[in-house]
Amino acid sequence: MRLHISSLTGLSASSVAAAVQEVSLDGLETYVPLLSMSQNLAKLAQRIDFNQSSDSDEDGPERESREPWGKPEPEEDEGTVKFQPSLWPWDSVRNNLRSALTEMCVLHDVLSVLKDKKYMALDPVSQDPALTKTPQVFQLISKKKSLATAAQLLLKGAEKLTKSLAENQEQRRQRDFNSELLRLRSQWKLRKVGHKILGDLSYRSAGSLFPHHGTFEVIKNTDIDLDKKVPDDYCPLNVQIPSDLEGSAYIKVSIQKQSADIGDLGTVSLFRRQPKAKPGSQMWHLKLEAAQNVLLCKEIFAQLSREAVQIKSQIPHIVVKNQIISQPFPGLQLSISLCHSTGEKKSQRASPDKSKPDDHLYVLEHNLHQLIREVHTMPHPASSPFGHKRLRLAGPMAYDKAEISSLQQSEGLLEKIIKQAKHIFLRSRTARTIDSLASRIEDPQIQAHWSNINSVYESSVKVLITSQGYEQICKSIQLQLNIGVEQIRVVHRDGRVITLSHQEQELQDFLLSQMSQHQVHAVQQLAKVMGWHVLSFSNHVGLGPIESIGNASAITVASPSGEHAISVRNGPESGCKVLVQFPRNQAKELPKSDAVQDARWTHLRGPYREVHCGRMEGRNFVYKMELLMAALSPCP
Amino acid sequence: MEAPPVTVMPVTGGTINMMEYLLQGSVLDQSLESLLHRLRGLCDNMEPESFADHELVYLLKGQQGNPFMLRGRRSLLHPTAPWHLRYLGQPEVGDKSRHALVRNCVDVAASHSLPEFLNEMGFRMDHEFVAKGQVFRKGAMKVVVSKLLRVLATGNTENTEPLSLSYLVELSVLAPAGQDTVSEDMRSFAEQLKPLVHLEKIDPKRLM
Repeated sequence: MRLHISSLTGLSASSVAAAVQEVSLDGLETYVPLLSMSQNLAKLAQRIDFNQSSDSDEDGPERESREPWGKPEPEEDEGTVKFQPSLWPWDSVRNNLRSALTEMCVLHDVLSVLKDKKYMALDPVSQDPALTKTPQVFQLISKKKSLATAAQLLLKGAEKLTKSLAENQEQRRQRDFNSELLRLRSQWKLRKVGHKILGDLSYRSAGSLFPHHGTFEVIKNTDIDLDKKVPDDYCPLNVQIPSDLEGSAYIKVSIQKQSADIGDLGTVSLFRRQPKAKPGSQMWHLKLEAAQNVLLCKEIFAQLSREAVQIKSQIPHIVVKNQIISQPFPGLQLSISLCHSTGEKKSQRASPDKSKPDDHLYVLEHNLHQLIREVHTMPHPASSPFGHKRLRLAGPMAYDKAEISSLQQSEGLLEKIIKQAKHIFLRSRTARTIDSLASRIEDPQIQAHWSNINSVYESSVKVLITSQGYEQICKSIQLQLNIGVEQIRVVHRDGRVITLSHQEQELQDFLLSQMSQHQVHAVQQLAKVMGWHVLSFSNHVGLGPIESIGNASAITVASPSGEHAISVRNGPESGCKVLVQFPRNQAKELPKSDAVQDARWTHLRGPYREVHCGRMEGRNFVYKMELLMAALSPCP
Repeated sequence: MEAPPVTVMPVTGGTINMMEYLLQGSVLDQSLESLLHRLRGLCDNMEPESFADHELVYLLKGQQGNPFMLRGRRSLLHPTAPWHLRYLGQPEVGDKSRHALVRNCVDVAASHSLPEFLNEMGFRMDHEFVAKGQVFRKGAMKVVVSKLLRVLATGNTENTEPLSLSYLVELSVLAPAGQDTVSEDMRSFAEQLKPLVHLEKIDPKRLM
C-alpha cells in the first residue's frame, strides 16, 4: 500500500491566507474561519487514498461496501462513494490497516501450515515442455507447412495452364474443322443424319432424274500427329465419295471418215476440265467437283445410250460397253465414248489433240447441259399436281392420240448430237471444197465470205466469182449458200434456188459450171464497156461437144464498126474457145463469085480464125478479151 | 356393227388411287420474308413462282348423309389454263404414328365450262375464295405459301379482303396408296422449317 502522502507536504507551516467568505455592505470582510491544526490534519487525512494502488480496482467494490460500516447515512445512490464529512476522518485509514492486518495474518497462517508439510505441499507447476523446447524446430515445421501449401498452389496453377494449353490446341484443331465445315457448307448441300454428316453432290436439285444417290460423307481428319510439323496441305476435313464416282471422267466425241476427201474430223473431249488448283480451294472441293463431273458424264452417257437403243434410224446405232457408234452420213462415223479413269492408272491411249471443231466444243457442252436438265414448270392453278403442262391440257382440249403423241415428241439428246455432227461435217467439207477450188483455179477467182453468226444447225456463206481487175464490171455471179444439216441451198443472184445434197462432188461441179458461165458473162459486160455489140448470148448452148458437168455458154460480140466479131464458147470441161471473124477483104483466099460483084461487099465479115488464148498476153481471160477487142477496133 | 367392248372392271390404276399427304402450318405476315428465304434455299433451284387462284367449293346435298364436296380452281394469272377439279376424301384413320394427314385425292383438269356443268349436275356453290402466294417444289414435295382472301361480291375477284393476318403454309405430296416413306421425308423436311413455321397434321374434322 502506497500512501499518497504527497499532499501531506503542504502540511507544515502553511499559513494559508484566510479566504474571504463574505463582504458586508459596510465593507467589513468576514473571513472563513481558519482550520485548526487538528482540522487541517483531519482534512489531509481524508485525502489519503488507500486504494490508489494496483489492486484498487478490486478494492473498489470493497470500499463501497465498507462505507455503510461507519455511520450509516441514508445513501440513496448505490455504487458511488460520496465524501461524508461527518465520518471520523481516520476511519478509512483504520479500515485499510485492518484489512492489511487480516491479509498478513492469513498469509502467516498459510506459510505456517505449509512449513508442516502435512496438510499442504508446494509443488512446482508442470511446465509445457514444448513451450520450453527450442523454437527453431517449430519454425522449421511451420516453414515446411507453408512451403508445402505454396508448392501445392503453384502445382495446381501449372496443371491448369497445361490443361488449358492442351485444350487450346485441341480447340484450334476443332475450330479448323468447324470453319472448314462452314466453307464446305457454303458451296455444297449438307445435312446431318444421326452422327454422320452427309452431303449431296448430285444434280437432283437442278432437275436431274438420274437414279444415282450422289451422297458423300464428311469425316474428320484425325490422323495427324501434333508433335510433328503440320503439312501445308493438311485439311482437318475429309470427304468420302461413293466408290463408283472416284477418279475422273470425260466424254470423248470423235468423227472419223475413212475416205480421203475430208479425212478425220478429229476427236474432241468434253467435260474434261483439268481442275485448276485455285489458291485456297481445298482438296475436298477438287474431289467433290471431280466426282460431280463423273456423275454428269455418266448421266449424259446413260441417256445417250438409252436413246441410241430406242430411236429408230436408217442406220442403227451400236452401243458397245462404253461407246456409242452411229453413222450420220454413209462413210462418216460418229463415236461417243465415256472415258472414266480411276485413280492414278494412266490411260493407255495417248490423248489426241483437239481438232478443228474447237469452237463447237463449248456450244455442244452447253447444249448437253441444257438438255440434261428438265425444266420444271409449275402448275397453274397451284393445286394441280406436277406434270407436263401439255398433258394437263389434253383432257379439256380433247386432244386425240395423234395430237398427244405429236406434243410429246421431243428430240432426244442423241438425235440432236447427230444433227449437230452432220452440220459440222457438212460445213467443214463445204469450206474445204471452196478452198481447194480457189487454190486450184486462178482465172476466175472465188471469194467466200462466211457469216460470223451461225446457228447450231445452219450456217451461211456468200461466194463471189470474179476476175482480178474487173471486179466492178463482172459481178454477175454471186451465190449465197445456206448449209443445213443434210443439204446445201444455193440462192443465185438472178433468183434461182438450187438444192444440193451432201455430196461433195455436186458442189464442186456446180461451182465449176458457175465459173465457166462467169467468163462468158464477163465478156458480155466487157463488150458493154468497150462499145461492142452483143450479137448473141446463150447460157446453155446446145451445140458443140457435150459437157459432163453443166453446160457450155457462148457469146458473140461485134465491133463498133461491124468489121470484126468475137465468138467465145466456154465450157467447164472443154475450156474456152475464142474465134474471131474478119472482114472478107482480109481473108487469105478470096472466093470469086459471079453473084457478088460490088467491092463494098468485101467489108462484110467472113471467115473465122481461132485465137490461141494460151499464147496471148494477159493475166486472165477477161484481160485477154479486152486486149483482143482493143486490137480489133482500129483507132479513128 | 357391234358395239366396242366395254370394260366391266372398275378403273383402279392410274390417277384414281392417289393419296395426298398433307402437313399444314401458318406464319404471320411479318415473318413471311424469312420463311420464303429459307424455302428458296431448301427447295429446288428455280425462280419462285407466284400464283393467284380463285377456288370455288361445290356441295351436292343428297337426301341422306354428308353432302358431297368438290373443289374447282382456276388461275387468275393464266386465264387460258384449264380449271382444276379436285375431290378430297376423308382422312385415313391409320396408325397415329403417321406424321402426315393422308386422304384420297382425285385431280382432274377441266375446261372453262366447269361451273355451268357442276350447276347442271346439281352442285351448288357453297363458298369461294382467292388464294395468292408462292409455290415451291422439292422433288415430289410441293410447298404452297398462300394468303387466303375473301371474295366480297360473288364472282367478283377484284374486290377481296384478307381473311387473316397470316399466310397458310402447306406441304403436300401426291403418291400412290401405300407409300409410307413419303411421310418420313415430309416430316424431315418440316423439321428443317421448324423454328419459322410448325407444320403438323391438322384434322379438318376437329376444326368443325
